[in-house]
Amino acid sequence: MKEKLRVLDPVGQPSGIFGYRLNPEDDMMNITDPNLQPTISLDKMESLQMAPRLGSLENKRIMLIDTGFLGSREFLEELQEWFKRNMPSVKTELRVKPGNTFADAPEFWPEVKKDADGVILGVGG
Amino acid sequence: MENDNRTHGMKLRWSFPPYPVGWVSRETLRSYIEGNDPVTGKPLIEEIIYALTAPLTEEEKNFKPERRPRRERLLEPDTEENLQRLFLENGWTDGLPIVLPTEERVAEMLTGTDRDPQEVVGLMSVTPTEERLEYTVEKVAVNAVMAGARPEHLPVILAIAASNITSLPSSTGSYGCMAVVNGPVAKELGMNGGGAAFGPFNYSNAVIGRAWTLMSINFGNARAGQTYMATHGNGLSFTNMCCCENEEKSPWEPFHVQKGFKPGESTVSLFRGWNVHNLNIGNTAAEILNSLKNFGMMGNFTAILDPLVAKGLAKEGFDSADKFREWLVKESDLPFLQKEKVNLIVVGGESNPIYITSDFIYTATMPVDEWIPKGGIKKDARPLRMPVAITCADGSCGIA
Repeated sequence: MKEKLRVLDPVGQPSGIFGYRLNPEDDMMNITDPNLQPTISLDKMESLQMAPRLGSLENKRIMLIDTGFLGSREFLEELQEWFKRNMPSVKTELRVKPGNTFADAPEFWPEVKKDADGVILGVGG
Repeated sequence: MENDNRTHGMKLRWSFPPYPVGWVSRETLRSYIEGNDPVTGKPLIEEIIYALTAPLTEEEKNFKPERRPRRERLLEPDTEENLQRLFLENGWTDGLPIVLPTEERVAEMLTGTDRDPQEVVGLMSVTPTEERLEYTVEKVAVNAVMAGARPEHLPVILAIAASNITSLPSSTGSYGCMAVVNGPVAKELGMNGGGAAFGPFNYSNAVIGRAWTLMSINFGNARAGQTYMATHGNGLSFTNMCCCENEEKSPWEPFHVQKGFKPGESTVSLFRGWNVHNLNIGNTAAEILNSLKNFGMMGNFTAILDPLVAKGLAKEGFDSADKFREWLVKESDLPFLQKEKVNLIVVGGESNPIYITSDFIYTATMPVDEWIPKGGIKKDARPLRMPVAITCADGSCGIA
């Protein structure tokens, strides 16, 4: 019978620490570097809640937000056209998220909350 | 996306169009919208409408981020063959055979430092939003064993680990990385900064560079297609262009001294980028300036100069790398190029005045000495050295 070996686990331990918000002022290279991101712990994330849903889209204002990632604008424009053709009562508006694709835009979200009933954010990549 | 749910602390509602979304026709995009989500197989538009309108489920209302349990220190005992298979099947390797990290081998590896094996060295992730994984000196030693390293390499590998920087940053573009060692430790380890330094001819270069990627896989949780999204991947990632600077042949102060360290201190400097152009010939400032202008880089420029190139520049009056960097920025007239984003490293065997150009970004210089045992780098009775490239003893056979 072949000898059995005892070996150590090579994988890092879960820390409960995540990256959470990308600083829009940062150099783009920093923004894409996990090491340079601010972090948040699981404890703080537990307080986040999802927004209530709309029930129906009839006569609702839906904002299509272009993240700036490759192809986002074109995809959302086609989505907007789909709503015009198929659900004309839905008022859609396409806006571009300010700043770098990979960065948060904290000044933008209050505007969105004010002007829209619901949001489609795209496209991730 | 399960990972992303954890990251956001809530079960966000996602839908997936097929990919790619960029550089495709409008007809294709329309077909995506009118077609199915390729992940769920359900109509995409129905999913989008559902996401906006369907009331939150109890799970969504009360979502709790997942707390993953700590991992056991030891794996279940098994045969060598089965364990090699286990490591491959779990994605804990770079696809090449590894040295299994037995208790005995890891204990031997840990003699390469005086630090407490349970001391936390850092946190790593390959994506900006994923959970960072924490690792100790012992975990670093485990990955060093797997890479085929020996105790004398551990201080440099620990220094890289302490940077928290992954060699596999997730981007659809495929990053490559570079690790350049400076100071006395390079010579003690028999590292190569001369002929064929980036090639597969030096033990220390290879195992240190490999250990960085194994740590990035196991500490950064690099999973192709899940957390690591490079469309091609990068062949550099196996050993990360790991070498030392050719300090002896360089007319300039070493790279780490340019970053504020003393010549007698040992460091490892880390870089990442996308493009490496290997064949540029010339040893004049004008030629390098021309390369820079034609490179099409994204604001960062790292040139790896054969010593013959650096000596040629010194003859032109650039008696320091700093002076030449300043001149390059001024003469290039590229508005986005800043002096601190231009890096000059001297590596090569004086075969010809050739320099490598890259868009590599300098990310950190990590001190090595704090990881070296008080008694110095652990010496082997028979240091393991591969053949070194033949160079002229008096340095007179160069072309410059």
